[in-house]
Amino acid sequence: MDSALGKNPTGGNAGSAGTGIEDFDIRAYLRLDLMPHFMCPGCGHGIALRALLWAVHELAIPKDRLAIVSGIGCSGRVGAYIDANTFHTTHGRPLAFATGLALARPDLEIVVITGDGDCLAIGGNHLIHACRRNLHMTCIMLNNEIYGMTGGQVSPTTAENRMTTTTPAGNTEPAFNACALAAAAGASLVGRGITLQTPALKNLMKEGLAHRGFSFLEVISDCTEIFGRKNDLGSSPEMILRQKSQMRPEYFGNVVDEPFRPNAMKTGILSRNERPEYGDAYRAAMVSTRATASHGHG
Amino acid sequence: MLASVRQNLQGNQACALGAIAAGCRFYAGYPITPSSEIAEKMAVELPKVGGTFIQMEDEIASMAAIIGASMGGVKAMTATSGPGFSLKQENLGYGAMAEVPCVVIDVMRGGPSTGMPTRPAQGDIMQSRWGTHGDHPIIVLAPSSVKEAYDQTIRAFNLSERLRTPVVVLLDEVIGHLVETIEIPHIDTIERAERKWATEARETYLPYGETDDGIPAMARPGDGYRSHTTGLTHGPSGFPTQKPAEVNDMMQRLLGKIDRHRDIVDDVETVGCDDAEVLVVTVGITARAARRAVRQARDAGIKAGLFRPVTLWPFPENQFRAVEARVHSVLVPEMNAGQLCLEVERLSARRTKIARINRIDGEAIEPAHILSTIEELGRHG
Amino acid sequence: MPIAPPWSQPVRRRPTVMAEGAKIPMTAAIEIRLSGSGGQGLQLSASVLAEALLREGKRVAQSQSYEPTSRGGISRSDLVISEDEVDYPLVTRINYLVILDDVAARASNALIKPGATVLCDESRVTQAPSGDFHVRMLPFAEKARAVGLERVANMVALGTLAGLSGICPRATLEAVVRDETPAKFLDLNLEALAAGFKLAEAPVSE
Repeated sequence: MDSALGKNPTGGNAGSAGTGIEDFDIRAYLRLDLMPHFMCPGCGHGIALRALLWAVHELAIPKDRLAIVSGIGCSGRVGAYIDANTFHTTHGRPLAFATGLALARPDLEIVVITGDGDCLAIGGNHLIHACRRNLHMTCIMLNNEIYGMTGGQVSPTTAENRMTTTTPAGNTEPAFNACALAAAAGASLVGRGITLQTPALKNLMKEGLAHRGFSFLEVISDCTEIFGRKNDLGSSPEMILRQKSQMRPEYFGNVVDEPFRPNAMKTGILSRNERPEYGDAYRAAMVSTRATASHGHG
Repeated sequence: MLASVRQNLQGNQACALGAIAAGCRFYAGYPITPSSEIAEKMAVELPKVGGTFIQMEDEIASMAAIIGASMGGVKAMTATSGPGFSLKQENLGYGAMAEVPCVVIDVMRGGPSTGMPTRPAQGDIMQSRWGTHGDHPIIVLAPSSVKEAYDQTIRAFNLSERLRTPVVVLLDEVIGHLVETIEIPHIDTIERAERKWATEARETYLPYGETDDGIPAMARPGDGYRSHTTGLTHGPSGFPTQKPAEVNDMMQRLLGKIDRHRDIVDDVETVGCDDAEVLVVTVGITARAARRAVRQARDAGIKAGLFRPVTLWPFPENQFRAVEARVHSVLVPEMNAGQLCLEVERLSARRTKIARINRIDGEAIEPAHILSTIEELGRHG
Repeated sequence: MPIAPPWSQPVRRRPTVMAEGAKIPMTAAIEIRLSGSGGQGLQLSASVLAEALLREGKRVAQSQSYEPTSRGGISRSDLVISEDEVDYPLVTRINYLVILDDVAARASNALIKPGATVLCDESRVTQAPSGDFHVRMLPFAEKARAVGLERVANMVALGTLAGLSGICPRATLEAVVRDETPAKFLDLNLEALAAGFKLAEAPVSE
């Protein structure tokens, strides 16, 4: 396996920055020796992964400087396929691990890949505080409305009345609006994307990566194999096309090409709240503290 | 001039200064009595040396953050007390499994649950060894003075970095809040161990491969290795595996690596163990009481001895057995309902009489209490 | 100086001591307890005394006991003073006991050494302990009020304790107060300390 890694065409760097799909070869960013991957046929997580790596490619972020921190669940396993510094941590805690990593290594570009259960249920406390702190990192929450890896239990984003293994009569709890939660908690950039529109999702991730501060990106990523079957949502293409009827763009720019039919869920950049990045602010405050202290004792 | 400085220092603050002397440059914590002075000291001292302090949203996040910082290559520490120590256990296990160096200070207070936040206890002796799930390596150091809180925190970092394992420094509230006159050595005289970093070619580097000393070199993010770290059972490549042979190899190395370095891990203080007939085994503030009691007993002609495991876990079995073989009674005073005595019973010969003093009312065990029990054991031995 | 030796250098092995009698000489320690209610500044006066003793070349162990509330409730700060390393750091036989409030009046009875000196605030302690030791009722709070603030009764008591016991020279205590206490209260604290030393000179009237 090591030899395969060693032959990686782009070595330590992502190569030249490209702007189109022509010069983006996802294989340059994957640990090909780990293929085939574990994801089910039709799973949206692979599309989200492609969009992320495409964004990394276009921003010319060197793979050596890229750190992927993930938690537990289907989303948690995605990071391992990326040829970067990858950290597969504990359930719900990737943002907390990433906080330590980001403060210790401000030179790294940190992407947290998490899921709806990982991020909003067991990790909900870390999410709101990460949003509040505004440490530079990009948090990508892959929302498939279900605990897939454990077999299909209800999650904090499962819509009401949906069937899961732990809601035999249909879900009676209301779902979280993760983006509204993140924005209310102070995330300095909040956006939502769908796996139907990979180029738009790529552009959204570029916005998130380029933003100095904490970016929260929700990706609607269908679970066809478990959630879809449980709820008779049809094949993977049928599910993914349904995204089109359920979304509408909030922010056009280069994020999406054309408006979708208006519905409850908005996509694109949903809110921006430009403010000092936490690490920068901390270091600046400590430098001035030191200066004051030395002056005081001088 | 590398002169030491004599000063009055609190045990908790000594842990903080020891950490900084050892090269700690990241601290994440959450307020909890009776350990908060460690966080407060680190918040002030770390920026002076270019380090980072952060108060996290909870105990779990604090543990996660120090592991995150350490995976980034920075020496990192957190501190807590019983309730917080319980919350940290899952991520402590991650540190053990992924072999990420880090130091956790646990200042023990009365338990269980919220218990008595301002009163001392020694109820985390077993939790510090077995708190996280699954078989795992861990080192626990148990200082019994402010000077030792300083020294053992430095040693905790050195062992943690050398052996790539979480190390717990276990204080009781008395030692944590005790102020003592101690000599702080000049910082340039402090011996610091650094982690073994990967330097070989990426093609041949195995993040969790077998090595001569059982300790694999760690890949520093940004150095070009782009390795994978996981709490899943992994093979030498660092990627998950469930193949029995690979799992077994990995677990054997993980569980055996501390034992391969017992020469630097073990640390014991003994008093009068050459000729002791009654042996006292204990740690922390209770060991200070026991030391006085043993000396008073010896002055009175009773052959008493003290065996104090400074490195509490792994318990120094060989040193203990060598002493235990010559005594007729072992007394285990501890501020809990009986934890350390379980290990002592496990390691003692059947003929040996094991006596306990257990205090669970939030007060320290007095020297006179230990002395009178030694006298009784001496009479009936 | 080698700050950061490479990992491969072994961490120096701490010698395992396997046999010795009494390595640390046991000399007679002096045990002091300052007790009262939370908020009376007992920790501060104990810290000042501990720092002064450090400057005098002594070794101290200072411990405290407090209840979760910051104000009210029993509070005490203990000092064990020795020429050498302090053997057992908690008090077991108190030589000097200061009591500033009734809540602490009887709490230390079992620990008072025969022949010890017990200094009680005459207005705030109504149930002073009695036994095989010397009890003196003294106007710490009254003198503090005369200086300007009852809250500095702790400093008055510290002055009297130092004056009566001779454990620490006045100049050293004053130097520590100058260095370690807030400038805003400096004059007040120094005056309170002086008032305390003056109380110590007054003839005993038990």
